[in-house]
Amino acid sequence: MPKHYRPAGKKKEGNAARYSTRSQALKLLQVNTKLFRKLCIYKGIFPREPKKKFKGNHHTYYHLKDVAFLRHDPILEELRAKSSYLKKVTKAKAKKNRELADSLLKRQPEIKLDRLVIERYPHFIDAIRDLDDPLTMVHLFAALPATDRMKIEVKRVHNCRKLSHEWQAYIARSHKLRKVFISVKGIYYQAEVEGQTITWLTPHGLQQVLPDDDVVYDVLLTFLEFYETLLAFVNFKLYHSINVKYPPILDPKLEASAAELYALSRYFDANSRKNSDQVEETQLEESELRLAQLQRQLPSNEAGALMQLVKGAADENEEDEDTKECKNFFKNMKFFLSREVPRESLLFVIPAFGGIVSWEGEGAPFNEADQSITHQIVDRPTQGHIYLSREYVQPQWVFDCINARIILPTEAYLVGRVPPPHLSPFIDNEEEGYVPDYAETIKRLKAAAKNEILPMPGAGVEDLDDPQNLLAEGYISRTEAIEAAERKQKMMTLEKQYRDELKMELQVTQSSALDTNKQSSGEDMEAREESLPDIQQIANDTANMSKVLMSSKKRGLYEAMKKGQERKKAHVDLLKERKKKIDEGKKSKKN
Amino acid sequence: MRAGKTVSVEATSPKKKKNNNNDKKKKKQNQTEKKDDQNLLKKTTESANSVQTENDASLKIQELEQQQQNTTQELAATDSDSDSDYQVFSEDEVSEDYESLRESEDGESESSGDEVHGSDDDVNNDNDDGHEDQSDGSESHQGIEESDSSEDEVAPRNTIGDVPLEWYKDEKHIGYDISGKKITKKERQDKLASFLASVDDSKNWRKIYDEYNDEDVELTKEETKIIRRLLKGKAPHADFDPYADYVDWFKYEDSLHPLSNAPEPKRRFIPSKWESKKVLRYVRAIRKGLIKFDEPKEEEPRFYLMWGDDSSTAEKANRLSYIPAPKSKLPGHEESYNPSLEYIPTQEELNSYQLMYDEDRPKFIPKRFTSFRSIPSYENAVKESFERCMDLYLCPRVRKKRINIDPETLKPKLPSRKDLKPYPATCYLEYKGHKGAVMSISTEASGQWIASGSTDGTVRIWEVESGRCLRVWEIGEPVHCVAWNPSPELPVLAASAGQDVVLLNTGFGNEEDQKRVGELLQVETHTASDDSDNMASIVSWLQDDKLGGIRLRHFKTVTSVDWHRRGDYLSTVMPADILFSVHLIFIVFVYSFLSMDHVFHPTRSIFFVSTKKTIRVYDLLKQKLIKKLETGLREVSSIAIHPAGDNVIVGSREGKLCWFDMDLSSKPYRILKCHPKDITNVAFHRSYPLFASCSDDGTAYVFHGMVYSDLNQNPLIVPLEILRGHTSSNGRGVMDCKFHPRQPWLFTAGADSTIKLFCH
Repeated sequence: MPKHYRPAGKKKEGNAARYSTRSQALKLLQVNTKLFRKLCIYKGIFPREPKKKFKGNHHTYYHLKDVAFLRHDPILEELRAKSSYLKKVTKAKAKKNRELADSLLKRQPEIKLDRLVIERYPHFIDAIRDLDDPLTMVHLFAALPATDRMKIEVKRVHNCRKLSHEWQAYIARSHKLRKVFISVKGIYYQAEVEGQTITWLTPHGLQQVLPDDDVVYDVLLTFLEFYETLLAFVNFKLYHSINVKYPPILDPKLEASAAELYALSRYFDANSRKNSDQVEETQLEESELRLAQLQRQLPSNEAGALMQLVKGAADENEEDEDTKECKNFFKNMKFFLSREVPRESLLFVIPAFGGIVSWEGEGAPFNEADQSITHQIVDRPTQGHIYLSREYVQPQWVFDCINARIILPTEAYLVGRVPPPHLSPFIDNEEEGYVPDYAETIKRLKAAAKNEILPMPGAGVEDLDDPQNLLAEGYISRTEAIEAAERKQKMMTLEKQYRDELKMELQVTQSSALDTNKQSSGEDMEAREESLPDIQQIANDTANMSKVLMSSKKRGLYEAMKKGQERKKAHVDLLKERKKKIDEGKKSKKN
Repeated sequence: MRAGKTVSVEATSPKKKKNNNNDKKKKKQNQTEKKDDQNLLKKTTESANSVQTENDASLKIQELEQQQQNTTQELAATDSDSDSDYQVFSEDEVSEDYESLRESEDGESESSGDEVHGSDDDVNNDNDDGHEDQSDGSESHQGIEESDSSEDEVAPRNTIGDVPLEWYKDEKHIGYDISGKKITKKERQDKLASFLASVDDSKNWRKIYDEYNDEDVELTKEETKIIRRLLKGKAPHADFDPYADYVDWFKYEDSLHPLSNAPEPKRRFIPSKWESKKVLRYVRAIRKGLIKFDEPKEEEPRFYLMWGDDSSTAEKANRLSYIPAPKSKLPGHEESYNPSLEYIPTQEELNSYQLMYDEDRPKFIPKRFTSFRSIPSYENAVKESFERCMDLYLCPRVRKKRINIDPETLKPKLPSRKDLKPYPATCYLEYKGHKGAVMSISTEASGQWIASGSTDGTVRIWEVESGRCLRVWEIGEPVHCVAWNPSPELPVLAASAGQDVVLLNTGFGNEEDQKRVGELLQVETHTASDDSDNMASIVSWLQDDKLGGIRLRHFKTVTSVDWHRRGDYLSTVMPADILFSVHLIFIVFVYSFLSMDHVFHPTRSIFFVSTKKTIRVYDLLKQKLIKKLETGLREVSSIAIHPAGDNVIVGSREGKLCWFDMDLSSKPYRILKCHPKDITNVAFHRSYPLFASCSDDGTAYVFHGMVYSDLNQNPLIVPLEILRGHTSSNGRGVMDCKFHPRQPWLFTAGADSTIKLFCH
C-alpha cells in the first residue's frame, strides 16, 4: 500500500480502504492506462461495485485485492520488459538502423499466457463455461481481412481460422452440436460440451466491414490474444479426450482448396482407425486394473456393489441420449452441396448430425452424378439438370430440420420458392406469449412423427386398419385442431356462465336495494347499464385491495414487474395485430 | 555530361560548410545544370539522327525524359558524393570551358577555397580527383564536338520555334520561312482518298507526316535502320561501340607537371586494420551467439495437456471470487434472416422510429431476406464485438439476486373477507335534496337521524331508515361542518358557516330534553355575553331567533366543529391560526398555531390537534403537550381516534393513510397508500372494528382495523372494500364519511350533492 499522509489516529476505513479508483490503481501499479488495460484483460480483472462509492458515481472502482493480485503477477514485469525492448526498436528505427531494428524485432521476447489460462480456469469445466466469447471472437477474426492499419496480421487471422476449424471438427466429430440459427448477424451455433451449453456466432462468409472510428482495435486484439491461447489449450484437451493428436496435420491439397474442415475429419478418421485397436486395449487394461483395485478395497461379500461400480464405469463411456439422437439424425442421408451454398457452415453441420456430405469442387469425396445422393442443397432460383432420385432443397431446410429434430417435408423448401420463416430455436414460445404459425405446424408434425414411431396402445390397431393411415399427419393434426377448438369453446362457455352469474348477483343486490328504497325505477336502468364495467371494476378492486397493504419497497418491485409484463404484452399484442393485418390482406387478395 | 557534374561538385562542397547562403546557390546550380544538360541532349540526339525532325516526338521525348532522369540521379549522386569524397578545386585547376558558369559563383568558391587549402591531405586528394575529372571533361568535350559536326545538315523550313502547334490550327499558314514569309498549309486530302493512296503506295509505311513543317517525309533505308536500333535501345549508329575500351588520354607518369606527384601511400598495399577488427568482432559475436542467423526455428509443441487431472482440487487462491460475465442474450425470432412476416415493422412504424430519441429507438430492426444467398454481411459485427469486449473489461460486476417470481406472490396474504363480515359493501340508500356539495354529515347518538351541511347554505336532518328529509335550516352561508351533540340528553346540532358557529335546537327527544335545550340556548346566551367580555374580540355570542338557536361569531372563518364526548365542550377550528375550546358556558382556553383538524379523546380528557405535519396531543387537565406524533406526510387533512383511544388514523392530502399505535411509537405503525387523490376524511366505527377513508377521487375505502387488548399483538389491518358511486364535481369527490353509531353502515357525503348509505 502506498505510504501517504494520514492524520494521526485517523485510519482509512470501510470502502475507501478496500477499494481504489482506476487512477489510484494506475498510480499503485505504476503503469499507464494501456498497460493496465492489457493486464486487466489478460488476468480477467474487472471493476467491482463498492457499496458506497466514496469518490462519486463517475469513477470505476477496483478492489484493492484485485490490484494487489495484478501487482504480484510476473506478467507485469514481462510486459514492462517488452515495452522497454520495443523502445530499443523505435530507437534503432529512428537512427535509420533498419538492420538492427529488424533483427531486434525478430528476436523480441514472447509472452506466454499459459500460466494465466490455468490460473483463471483451474478446472477444465470453468474454461468450457466461459467459452462463448472466445469462440465468437475467434470466429469473427477468422473472417476479417488482414490489414496493416488495424494491426490485424495475416498470421493471426490464419491462426484464428485454424482454431475455429479445429473446434468445429471436434464438435462435428463428437456430435455435440444441438441448435443452429441463421440470423442477420451471422449463424449461431449451440453445442453441449461437458454438460455446458456453449453458443457462438460466426459471421456470414463475406467481406467484413472494419469500422474506423468507433472501435479500438488494440482492445480487441488483446482479448483475441488470450482467447487464442485459451482455445488452443481447450482444443488440445478435447482432442486428447478422443485420442487424437493435437495439433492435427492436414492434407495440404484439401487445405489449399479451402476444405479444411473436411481435411480435419479425414484426419480424425485416419487417426481413429489407427488408434482404435490401441484404445480398446488400454481400456480393457484399465478396467481390469480398476477391478483389481476395487476388489482389494472392498470386502469380498459385497459383490453386488462391485458390479454396480463396473457398470457405472461402462456407462461413462457411452454417450448420452441426446448425442445418440444427434448422431443418427441424418443417418443414411447423402447430401450434395451446389456451388452457391454456404459450404463451410453446411460442411460443419451435416456431419455433426451424422450425414454424409460432398460438394462441387476439388477434393470432394463424391461428385454430383453419384446416384446414392438423397438430398441436393441448392440456393439458386432454378435448377438445370434434375436427378429424380434425390430431393432438391434450400439450405434452410437442413437448419430447420435440426432445430425441430424431425425430418421436415421438403415441399416448402423446394428450389425457387420462398422458404417458410426461419425460427429461433433459443426462444421458448410459451414464455414469450406468442407462437408463430410455423412453430405451431412444426409442433404438430413433431407430435405426428412421435405417434408414427410409437403408436398409442389401442389406437394403433385402428390406425392400421384405417385407410387414412397414409395421411396420418394430416389426420392427427386435424383431430388435434378439433380438440383444441372444443377446449376453447368450453372455456368460452364457462367464462360466459361466470359473467352471467356475476351479473345476476349484482342485479339481485340492486333489486333488493330498490325494494327497500322504493324510489324511481329510472335508477334501475342506469344501474343495469353500468353493470358491465362494474364487474371489471370489482375485479380490479379486489386485485388492488392487497396492494394497499404492501410496503413501499415491495410495491415498487411489484409495479416494476407489472410494467415489464405489460411491455411484454404490448410487444405480443403488436405482433398479433400485425399478424391480423397480414392475414386480412391475404384474404382480401384471394377474394 | 560530366561537365555538369564537376560544376555541381564545385558548387556544392562549400555549401556544406556554409549553410547560410546555401539555398540560393543550389537553385542557381540546378538551373545552370539543367540548361547544360538540355543543350547537350539536343546535340547528342541531333547527332544521332540528323534527318529526324522534332516531330518524331515519341522517340525524342522518351529519350529526353530518360536523360533528364539520369541527370537528376546524377545530381543526387553528386550531392552525396560531394559530402563524402570530393573536395574543392583550386581556381587554377578549373578548365576554361566552364569559366562562364563559374563567374556567377566566383565569390563563394573563392571563400571555400580558402578554407579548404588548410590541410595537405586534402590537396593530395584534390589532385587525384582532379585528374579524373579532367579526363572526364575531355571526354564530354569530344562528345560535344561530334554532335556539332552533324548538326547543320537540314534547317527546318518553319521558323516559329518551339510553340504549340495549336496556335496555328485555325490559321491558313503553318508558320514563316527563314525570310519571314508565310508558309501556307497544304490542302488536305480527303481521308478516303488518302487512305486509298496509302494502300496503293508500297512505300507508305516509310512515310511520316511532319506536322511542324506540314509535309510528308519519306524515311530512307538508313533512317529506318536507325529508328529500329533506337527502338531496341541500342546506339543509333551500328558502328558505334558503347563498350569500347577506355583510353586514358592522360599520362600521369611521364607528364612534366603531374597532377599529383605523391608516392602511392602505404595503405594501398596493406590490408585494413579496422576491417580486420570489425570482422574479428563479428566472429566473436557469432561464436558467443550474440548474432543469430535466421534459421528456420524448430517449432516446439506449444500446447500441452493443461487440465490433466481435473479431480485434483486446486489450492484455494487467496483472492476475490471470480464473477463470470453474463452471457450475451440469445437471439429471438426477430433476428432471423427470414422471420415471420409479423416481426417486420410496417413502413409507418419505421417512420415513427425516426421521430424517436436515440435511446428509445429499437436497436435492431428486423429484416427479411428470401434466400440464404442474399444475406449481406452484418456491418456492426466488429463494433458489437468491441462493445462486448469493453463490457467485459470495464463494467463492474456484481452478483445480483434476480427474483423470478410471479408478482402476485408479492402481495400480502389477506384473511378472507367473508370472515370479517359485516362491513358496508353496497349502496343501500341515497339521500337527495341538497343543491350544492354536501360538505359534512353527522349522525345522531341513537343512529336514527343524520344531519348534513352543504354549500347551498342549508343544514338538513334526514331519517336514516327511510331517507326522508325531516328538517331544513337555511343558514345563508355555505355550511362547512355539522356536529351532533353526542349526549342524548342534549339534542343540539352545531354547524359552522362562514365565521359563525350556529347551535341549533333540533327538536328531538322527549319534552324534558326539549325544555332543557330550550333553556340552555336561551339562558346561556345572556350569561355568555356577560361573562365573555374579555373574549369578545374573538367570539361574540348572539341569539338567532329565526333559526331558534345561538350564533357564535368568530373573527375568522370556521372550518370544523367537534364536541366533547359528554357534550359539555365544543371545539372549533379556524384554519387561519386559532383554535378554541369552548364550554357551552364559557371559553376554556385558546391555542394559537396553524391547525388542520382536531378531535377529543373518546374516554380521557386528552385533545388531539393536527398541524400540517405533526399531531399534537394535549392533556386538557394539565393543559400541556403530552406527545407529538410525526406523520412524515406532506400535509395532514383529517384525523380520527379509535374508540379505545390508543390508535389514531391520519389522512393526508397525498392520499396516504397513517395508522398510529400510540403505545408503540410516535412514528406511524403502518402507512397505507390507497387513494390517488386527497383524503378528505377518515372515520372509526364506534363498536365494530372498522374504519374508513374517503377521498376526492370519488371512492371510500373500508378497512378492517382490529385492535387487540393483548399489548404484544399488533393491530390487524385489512382493506375490505372500495365503495364507489359518487361522481366527482369540480375535482372534489367524497367530502365526508361517518359510520352509523350502532350498525356497520357508512354514510358518505359527496360533492355531487348526494349522501349515500352503504350497508353490509
